[in-house]
Amino acid sequence: MIPEALTLGTALIAVAAFASGLAAVMLLYGYVSRSEEFRRLTMAAAGVSTLSLVVAHGYLTYLFVVGDYTYAYVWQNSADYLSLLYRITGVYANHEGSILFWATLTAVVATWTVYSSHFEGRGSRLAQSISLGIVAVFATMLVSQSPFTPIEVAYPDTPAGFVPPDGDGLNPLLIDPWMAIHPPITFAAYALLIVPFALGIAHFVSQFRGEVSVFDEWLESMVQWLRVSWLLLTAAIVFGGIWAYGVLGWGGFWSWDPVETAVLIPWLGLTASLHAINRYGKTGEYPIFAPASAALIFPLVIFATTVVRSGVFRSVHSFAAGGIGTGILFLLGVTGTLAIVLPFGYWFLRAEETQRPADEPWLSRRTVYHGAVLAFGVLAFISIWGLSFPVLRSAATGVEVAVGQDHYNLWSYPVVVLGLLAGGLYALLDLRRRRLAIAATGVVAVLTFLAAFVTPSANWYLSDPAAHDPLVYRIVGTASVLSIVPPAAFFAGSWIARYVSRIRGVPSRWFKLRETGIVLLHVGGAVLIVAVSFVYLFSTSASVAVIGVGEAADNPEPIVEEVPDSEYTVAVSNYETTEAPTIEEAARTPAEMLAVSEDVSLVRGEITDTDTIENTAVARLDDSDVWLASSDAAVDFETGTEVIARGPVFGGQSLETDADAYVYTDTDNMGTLEDPPTDVHEPRMVSHEIDLTVYDGDEPVAEGTIAEQEYVNSEMNTNDALIERGVTGDTYVVGQVDEGGASISIDTYPLANQIWLGTVLMMLGIAIVTIADTTVRRR
Amino acid sequence: MTPRKLLTIVVLIAVLGFGYYSMNAAPVLSDHDYTYQGGLEWHEDPDEAMAVAQAEEKPILVYYWTTWCTYCQDYERNHYQDEDVRDELDGYVLLAINLDDPGPGVEFAREHEASYPPQHVIMTDDGQQLSRLGGFTELDRFHAELESGLEQYEQ
Repeated sequence: MIPEALTLGTALIAVAAFASGLAAVMLLYGYVSRSEEFRRLTMAAAGVSTLSLVVAHGYLTYLFVVGDYTYAYVWQNSADYLSLLYRITGVYANHEGSILFWATLTAVVATWTVYSSHFEGRGSRLAQSISLGIVAVFATMLVSQSPFTPIEVAYPDTPAGFVPPDGDGLNPLLIDPWMAIHPPITFAAYALLIVPFALGIAHFVSQFRGEVSVFDEWLESMVQWLRVSWLLLTAAIVFGGIWAYGVLGWGGFWSWDPVETAVLIPWLGLTASLHAINRYGKTGEYPIFAPASAALIFPLVIFATTVVRSGVFRSVHSFAAGGIGTGILFLLGVTGTLAIVLPFGYWFLRAEETQRPADEPWLSRRTVYHGAVLAFGVLAFISIWGLSFPVLRSAATGVEVAVGQDHYNLWSYPVVVLGLLAGGLYALLDLRRRRLAIAATGVVAVLTFLAAFVTPSANWYLSDPAAHDPLVYRIVGTASVLSIVPPAAFFAGSWIARYVSRIRGVPSRWFKLRETGIVLLHVGGAVLIVAVSFVYLFSTSASVAVIGVGEAADNPEPIVEEVPDSEYTVAVSNYETTEAPTIEEAARTPAEMLAVSEDVSLVRGEITDTDTIENTAVARLDDSDVWLASSDAAVDFETGTEVIARGPVFGGQSLETDADAYVYTDTDNMGTLEDPPTDVHEPRMVSHEIDLTVYDGDEPVAEGTIAEQEYVNSEMNTNDALIERGVTGDTYVVGQVDEGGASISIDTYPLANQIWLGTVLMMLGIAIVTIADTTVRRR
Repeated sequence: MTPRKLLTIVVLIAVLGFGYYSMNAAPVLSDHDYTYQGGLEWHEDPDEAMAVAQAEEKPILVYYWTTWCTYCQDYERNHYQDEDVRDELDGYVLLAINLDDPGPGVEFAREHEASYPPQHVIMTDDGQQLSRLGGFTELDRFHAELESGLEQYEQ
């Protein structure tokens, strides 16, 4: 390693890499040799590893908060004008920082299992060794691609010791409150999956060695981890959707962009796994699939990370593209292979054929439940395949193919319908009314089929397939979206019926609470599926250009435009621009100016002394060594006034603290604090805002502000939408705005609130189940 | 065999079938010679397009696009499928440059300052820019621009 690259932060990460590696090796030794002799050293090593990562992450956050641009990563992802929240967002805005964050959380989780007294015994040592081994891989990756790389190492052309006066900025798309919390939640969810992975792998190793696995011992707590992870991952996806809806205008909540698809894959895997493990815990079914699925989610997460970071999968999230660490690919290869090969190997070589009770009918609860688990697997595969085959095919033949939303929507749709039918049937079978259950499901299946042909208008078709599209797309695409209603209603109804029947007469409050959580989860899922199916097909769009909105600023009369091809009218009543940073914020104090040593500086301060040197008027600022100088006769330096001035700095190249520095200015470049010389100021961001009212006929349907932000450095713009929420749907107004004009589009998203309702119910449900189970266990 | 095993095998076969089918059913975006935006054949190499344009004495329509741009999908579905637009397009040599992976088109993208999709530039066969459509345009305007581009070229 280059010595100058070894900064304090990198050293901390290197310590973590070494300590976690050491702990992993000692734990493995403990497992193999059946000894506990290095117990205390192991705990110390794991502790040191986590502590160094926590400190490193804290230190990086500190560097962002104070704006220390000695480090390239900080410089690339932050700037002085950003508020505290977005400086902290910058910490995980890019590859290095987010991996550090993920590694830190993973280390905390892994070390906790080492310290906790719950996890004793040989198999636990193996699981802990695997977890800490992965922490070591993460940390090693970070040593070679460190967020603490000094700017002169990352950019060899910069002069030694140069510290940029201001950061390069944060990707404008990330300047949003939802984006501030989305990554931490995502990575917390990811971090929790390390233990199920380690346990799943340890389980199969134990099985192969003919030993007792600790999987069952850990099962209850592991299920809770998986549930919390599921909750967090769901929240992360929802927040991402809210962000896309509010900030991007890229087509609503979801656009089957590779990054969005990627994050859904571990979620589907996790959902399938929770179902399998739930069954395993109760009845011992899925003896191979349950631990295998637990192990498989982590590689799926790594796969998702590869999609997000590699740049191989073309995505609208171009901020995420960039070099991917070989470490990630290594992790994907190793964890994926382990999680697939071990269970399969065990299945082929060792597993005994499970016997089914002779009297069990073919259409049993077990079979139906299995169908539902498989449905999640198939959904995950549709997404994985949709992401992968264009890349594979292009690599193999050079032919590029398009994978649009039809691939995901139309293939998934029948699977979802079948999944809903199976889920509903399962709930009814649980009521032990077998005949009724099968008959009801049959009726609903027929209704579903019939509903597929009911299309009151063209909007109801699932897709708009062209004549040359593949047959499957033409068949599924010409079905009516109404066909989702009978199975979803049946599913929700069956789960409610099951709930009512199960809690009736049961005195345990915790049992009832748990069942409430379960029913909320399933009903929420049904609501979500229906809302999502309808929202896209029935969303409408209309747009209009309004010219000369700049004039609306001074005009009491709003500019009114009718929106073509619609009943809408828009009235623009105000136009405003705001800048960040403002000139007052951008101007440096004399002390800051001396610290950053620029050729041309914008400085502010109170004139505390005036003088004349060789016909040049000079004025001292804030009793410091910084003086303003001007030979412009019109400039009037007056003691006691606070001024902002810009100009070339004389004597400022190698300023000693006791040397004087002069900023040469003139009337155009100087002004008082009340009347600053705004023309000399280049803000990082200019926001154009208009107030408007949208009428549908004579009825006002939306009123508020829309805005467009221009980010000068990154040549990127963002838009603030105006969202008027209603029970039946949202009116969504967004547009490109500048002084010359605004191009406003008015969209409607029906059932938007029902999407949020569905996800809230699901998150509430899983939280209740988790809490109820924890409390019951404690007792 | 248990019902569950049978179900698993059936689903596995279905999934394999789906994988094979969907891979071959996906519309081709580009092969070794052309890219197929809106089902039309677009050159990807500017030199090639210029040579063809000079030989056929046609203006060139340059289209900057990406796979993820939703407006480009609008172009695909609506504009390029429009009969009148297609008639106008016949008068052009088509050149499409994927901004994510511009290949030999990278110089053109820089010259035309095409930093975001979609963008259209109409130019003569010797590289002189006739008109430029930044961002998304409604069908009527797109058609009108194509028409006036041809007229300008004739002059």
